[in-house]
Amino acid sequence: MAKIVAVHSFRGGTGKSNTTANLACLLAQKGHRVGIIDTDIQSPGIHVLFSLDPNDCPCALNDYLWGRCEISQTAYEVTPTADPASSGKLFLIPSSIRTGDIARVIHYGYDVNLLKEGCQRLIRELPLDYLFIDTHPGLNEETLLSIAIADMLLIILRPDHQDYQGTAVTVEVGRHLEVPRMSLLLNKVPACFSREALTDQVAHTYGCEVVGVLPHAEEMMTLASSGIFVVRYPDHHVSRELRTVTAMIEA
Amino acid sequence: MDARRIILTGCGWGAVFGILNCASNVFLLPSAPFISLRPQIALPMVVGITVHPVAGFLVGFVGNIIGDGLSGFGLWKFWNWHLANGLMGFLPGLVRYGGSNRISTVRDFGVLEMSVVLASGASVAFAVLLDVLFLEFMRFPSSFHSWILPAFLTDAVNGFVLVPVLLLPAGRLLITLETRTILLITALLVVAVLSTAGAITWSVWDDLSSPAATIENFYIAGIVSVILLVLGFIAALGFVRKITDPIGELTRAAEAVENGDYDLGHLGHVSARQDELGRLSRVLQGMAGQVRKREEALRSQVQELRIRIDPQRREREVAAIVETDYFQQLKKKAKELRQGMS
Ligand SMILES: Nc1ncnc2c1ncn2[C@@H]1O[C@H](COP(=O)(O)OP(=O)(O)OP(=O)(O)O)[C@@H](O)[C@H]1O
Ligand SMILES: [Mg+2]
Repeated sequence: MAKIVAVHSFRGGTGKSNTTANLACLLAQKGHRVGIIDTDIQSPGIHVLFSLDPNDCPCALNDYLWGRCEISQTAYEVTPTADPASSGKLFLIPSSIRTGDIARVIHYGYDVNLLKEGCQRLIRELPLDYLFIDTHPGLNEETLLSIAIADMLLIILRPDHQDYQGTAVTVEVGRHLEVPRMSLLLNKVPACFSREALTDQVAHTYGCEVVGVLPHAEEMMTLASSGIFVVRYPDHHVSRELRTVTAMIEA
Repeated sequence: MDARRIILTGCGWGAVFGILNCASNVFLLPSAPFISLRPQIALPMVVGITVHPVAGFLVGFVGNIIGDGLSGFGLWKFWNWHLANGLMGFLPGLVRYGGSNRISTVRDFGVLEMSVVLASGASVAFAVLLDVLFLEFMRFPSSFHSWILPAFLTDAVNGFVLVPVLLLPAGRLLITLETRTILLITALLVVAVLSTAGAITWSVWDDLSSPAATIENFYIAGIVSVILLVLGFIAALGFVRKITDPIGELTRAAEAVENGDYDLGHLGHVSARQDELGRLSRVLQGMAGQVRKREEALRSQVQELRIRIDPQRREREVAAIVETDYFQQLKKKAKELRQGMS
């Protein structure tokens, strides 16, 4: 049975795209078939991490949503460090970066039901073990839909007062939609923070499990989304932490 | 280590040692009919140190038999000296055996040089003892000058100078700040002492047949040289360690800081120094103190970290989303949607 993981944060720049890409890569490296769909149509970004040039992609998610192509045509294989022995595969469904396409979505919108059907078909046709949904920050319609169809809602937050209130709203909305599993992931945590104290506080405040505490990593900043962290720095302590998060997602 | 390799290296280098012994027998030391100047004594010592004490023993023992045989002294006549040469390889090897394989500190170097000199002394003493007990070739006190002393001097000095020189290319003597300094000082000492001794030897060389007093003078010069060498060396050890020990301590302190231990009180005696190292140590202590203060400040911030959420605002914001038609429809369909997905 495929698992849909919606990755969300109330505010922008918390590390949704980076975390999604890394977790998806780790699952693919473990031999799973994994898809990532970039529903951040207004400000797409995750393709950058995979060095996928959207100009080389004839079809993006936008084209599918406007009935110009099939969803399967929008999936591009981006499996990291192809190990021929491994059965793992990673597919990315990018959003268009053409300003016209973006403006059109913002202006006219689209039928969000198509998004749901697209996800269904991707899972069936590729086929997939895991489908990650990278979202636009905030709670717009496609984000709400992704939460409604997800088996797991992974909310990313920084230990920052700007994030606390919005996360509470997201958690509440997730409860309304009865998401089967809601998890919190702390990102960009300064090294001086006590991990245990932070985990306890956050878990206690929101009444959710905390699946990981990712320190703020200088290397992540310098990598500057030009590659996948766990591929570039497999032995870094952040990569180790991401691996334990992966195991919790698999559980 | 396997016995085969020990025996093979021992006997192989023993053959080399024996041939060199025979070759060097032409360079007899002044007024010592049996003792030649033999730099090759460093061989059994080096093999003992780098391979195995037993291998070192075999080089000296087998080599001396071969050397005596080739020189026409008879294979077994001086068997006590075969054993003594073996011991010269065995003892320094024994000192290093089980210890670190590499010489990288002044301490290691001191132990090495001392073991070489002491092994020479102990081995010669052992040979003399066996002679007195069983062979009785020696006549005292004349043998002391003509045999015992020259044997000790040539072996101790050659070993002292050449063992480190041979260990360098073997990769057993690492060039660190410590060894570089002590090597430099040792080289200066050796050159100073040996050139004096050499000059004296040279000047009395032609007079060797003259009254015994001259010969005695020569050996007194030799003994004084060795004593100077050893005393100078011990002083140099102390001198170098005064520089290098604090560096080790500073490094360990920096490592401690790296591991989050900021208590550098144990650096007190280094900080008390008036030199550059003292200054470095004070800076390091100050730095650790600053880092500790900053970290404590940050930690106390974490302790105060309270996640404050305004419940009324949250309810308002949630309501704004939940009460939309879109959300209500979505909520109705949510369960069914999820089941349809996979
Ligand atoms: N653990 C981390 N340590 C340091 N930098 C990080 C970490 N995680 C993410 N970043 C950096 O933060 C920036 C934003 O990351 P990312 O694009 O993944 O966030 P996002 O939530 O997807 O943003 P958006 O809301 O704009 O889509 C990137 O420059 C990334 O390199
Ligand atoms: Mg993003």
